[in-house]
Amino acid sequence: MVSTFSGLEVAKRALSTQQAALYTTSHNIANANTEGYTRQRVNFEQVSTLSVSRYTEGVKSDIGSGVQAGSIERIRDRFLDVQYRNESSKLGYYEQRAEAMAQMETIMNEPSEEGLAYTMSQFSDALQDLSTNPEDSGSRSVVSQRGQAVADTFSYLSTSLEQVRGDLNSQIDVTETEFNSILTQINNLNEQIGSVEPHGHVPNDLYDERDRLLDSLSAIANVSVSYEKSSGQPSEIAMGKATVTLNGVGQDVTLVDGNIYQVNHMEVTSNENNNVESFTFSNPNDTTATPVTIDAADYASTGELKGLMEMNGYVDADGEAAGYYNEMLSDLDQMAVAFVAEFNRVHQNGSNLTDDATGDFYTIDPAATRPAATMAVSEDIINDPKRIAASLSGPSGDGENAIELSNVFSKLQADYEVPAEGLGNKTSIKSFYESMIGQMGVVTQEANRMVSNAGVLQQQVEENRSSVSAVSLDEEMTNMIKFQHAYNAAARSMTAVDEMLDRIINNMGLVGR
Amino acid sequence: MRVTQSMLTNNMLKNLSSSYSNLDKYMDQLSTGKKINRPSDDPVIAMKGMNYRTQVSDVEQFQRNISEVNNWMDNSDSQLDETTQALQRLRELAVQGSNGTYEDGQRENIAAEVDQLKEHLIDIANTEVNGKYIFNGTSTTGEAPVTVDEDGNVTGVSTNDDAVRIEVTDGTKLQVNVTAGNVFSEEFFKDIEAFSTALKSDTDEDLDSHIATMDTHINNTVNERADLGARMNRVELIVNRLENQSISANKMMSDNEDADLEEVIIQLTTQESVHRAALSAGSRVIQPSLLDFLS
Repeated sequence: MVSTFSGLEVAKRALSTQQAALYTTSHNIANANTEGYTRQRVNFEQVSTLSVSRYTEGVKSDIGSGVQAGSIERIRDRFLDVQYRNESSKLGYYEQRAEAMAQMETIMNEPSEEGLAYTMSQFSDALQDLSTNPEDSGSRSVVSQRGQAVADTFSYLSTSLEQVRGDLNSQIDVTETEFNSILTQINNLNEQIGSVEPHGHVPNDLYDERDRLLDSLSAIANVSVSYEKSSGQPSEIAMGKATVTLNGVGQDVTLVDGNIYQVNHMEVTSNENNNVESFTFSNPNDTTATPVTIDAADYASTGELKGLMEMNGYVDADGEAAGYYNEMLSDLDQMAVAFVAEFNRVHQNGSNLTDDATGDFYTIDPAATRPAATMAVSEDIINDPKRIAASLSGPSGDGENAIELSNVFSKLQADYEVPAEGLGNKTSIKSFYESMIGQMGVVTQEANRMVSNAGVLQQQVEENRSSVSAVSLDEEMTNMIKFQHAYNAAARSMTAVDEMLDRIINNMGLVGR
Repeated sequence: MRVTQSMLTNNMLKNLSSSYSNLDKYMDQLSTGKKINRPSDDPVIAMKGMNYRTQVSDVEQFQRNISEVNNWMDNSDSQLDETTQALQRLRELAVQGSNGTYEDGQRENIAAEVDQLKEHLIDIANTEVNGKYIFNGTSTTGEAPVTVDEDGNVTGVSTNDDAVRIEVTDGTKLQVNVTAGNVFSEEFFKDIEAFSTALKSDTDEDLDSHIATMDTHINNTVNERADLGARMNRVELIVNRLENQSISANKMMSDNEDADLEEVIIQLTTQESVHRAALSAGSRVIQPSLLDFLS
């Protein structure tokens, strides 16, 4: 036996449920272009058909009692999030590498007519010209100027690279701040979610916001996320509070603890040479807790931060400065010191046009942090180019030492009287520099290739994710029509019930009167 | 797979940007004429390129050195030519003077000519080219190789016979001057002076010995010139070789790093049409949605 007015109730429920669905559709359309938005859907639920009666087990009616809007759920695949964040870490890492390497390439500026190779070749030509005209003061001035150009280029390269390192270091600071701010925001969201979920609510907007933050976080470092169930009576589809841990650092570092709403901020420590020494994780609100410290050498969490650290330079396991910029700078230093030592030695072998003994052509401070930056042509030579020792035997017309000097660039290490450290016997200054540039080219090329690879992978995952979660306007339009029609039909059914009741109440039992 | 509007727009943007970067690459290649602009474009080409550039510049430098070599040799040669002519004249004068038919006054005249020729020869020995003494070994500046007193008598002859050497190819140095001591020796000037004294003396000295000494000096000069000539021939060979080297070095450099313009233009044109197609496809794909067909 169906209650008289249940038809009205069924229609009413249908109206409000379709309305809820329409509003959700509207919400989806409105957020079609919102970053990090996940499309939502209303879970329609049939209303239980069990009706109350005086029989203890109740009476099961065959007729249903309509629909109700259950929870509103986000359509999202957590597995794709994990994939996306992994790719995003890789992309962040290689992007930083590629960017820093591109800057290095711009500074080295090879092959071109402004690079060190060209300056050295010009200097060598000037020395050859001097050898044909050793008595000419004009060719002597040219030699001293071109020699200065070589020294200038060395110190320009060294200081410019060092400057980029400084920029990279401040970029690390900025990234650190961003990282910590994201952690605090995630923690705040956890708190909000934790206060809402116990009442059975599903805060989709907060989940979206948290996922968006986790995406940004994963670009900086590789993190993994687990979820803690809220207390009370959370909905079955409630996500819970997120606990974020940092991966790849040799031990577990909890960045955000969803259970106790605590957050560990990161602090990057660098030494006086701008090399990253360690990463410290500590709770900003609880100074009594022991901070976790991770040495830079053990920090292997793929992401922007690691990319920046490796480019800027860090202290490796042996306490040495590592990183590609450091390598390039120390190669330049080695090259400058070896070149100056050999050039000066050959220079002192010759004799100049003055009565004074031949001195050094170049000055350099091998004990300096960056010797290449201290390279210069000695004051004596700048002031008096006659002091350039072009002659081997003494007379002014002899230019053979100038030839020897011009050959220093292509002279093999094995032929040096005092072999320089680290250049290798079969190497000349020129070929050492060529191999430096070649290596830089290979590293940069590799970084660029990895950026595009990681980019393609990330895009693919992003596509899969969009395929699941993004708003399709066509779909929403279709749904809108669907729900609108259902709404209209529900209204019509209510009218039918109304007419039915009208018949019963106003027109029944009059027996044809 | 469910495809949404945002996927289409994102994809299209991404593809357009990669298409743009391709266009940029070809434009770069066209405007610079080089295959690569950064070492990372192709590290091997970059490294080789640096090496080839040095080779090209080395060859150019050696060619410049050669012009200096020619300068030295041509000047030395023409001066030695003059020297030979002067010596020939001296010999003729010695022959004339020795036949005994000349009177004292006539012998005086001959002596005067001899003195003039001696001065001429001193001038030749002291020749300066670009401010350098060419007959003084490596002592090219400073005191002149032959010094004379107020009366025109030779007081000193420099003894610097060192070779002035210029590098003409990698590791090969060539002597560019002549060994002055073999021609303009102290004896050379003393002999001429002795000839002149003999002419001026009242006694009818036998001048035959002077013919012989002049012959010796002529021989010396000719020998030195022959030696120089041989070296000049060698320079010519080297010049030819350098020219070939210059061509091949430039060719290697160009093969290595110069862009093949036809190829790049074709690629650019292809890329352009791909880009156009992408744009027009984008405008078609993105625009219509179900909304456009609902009334």
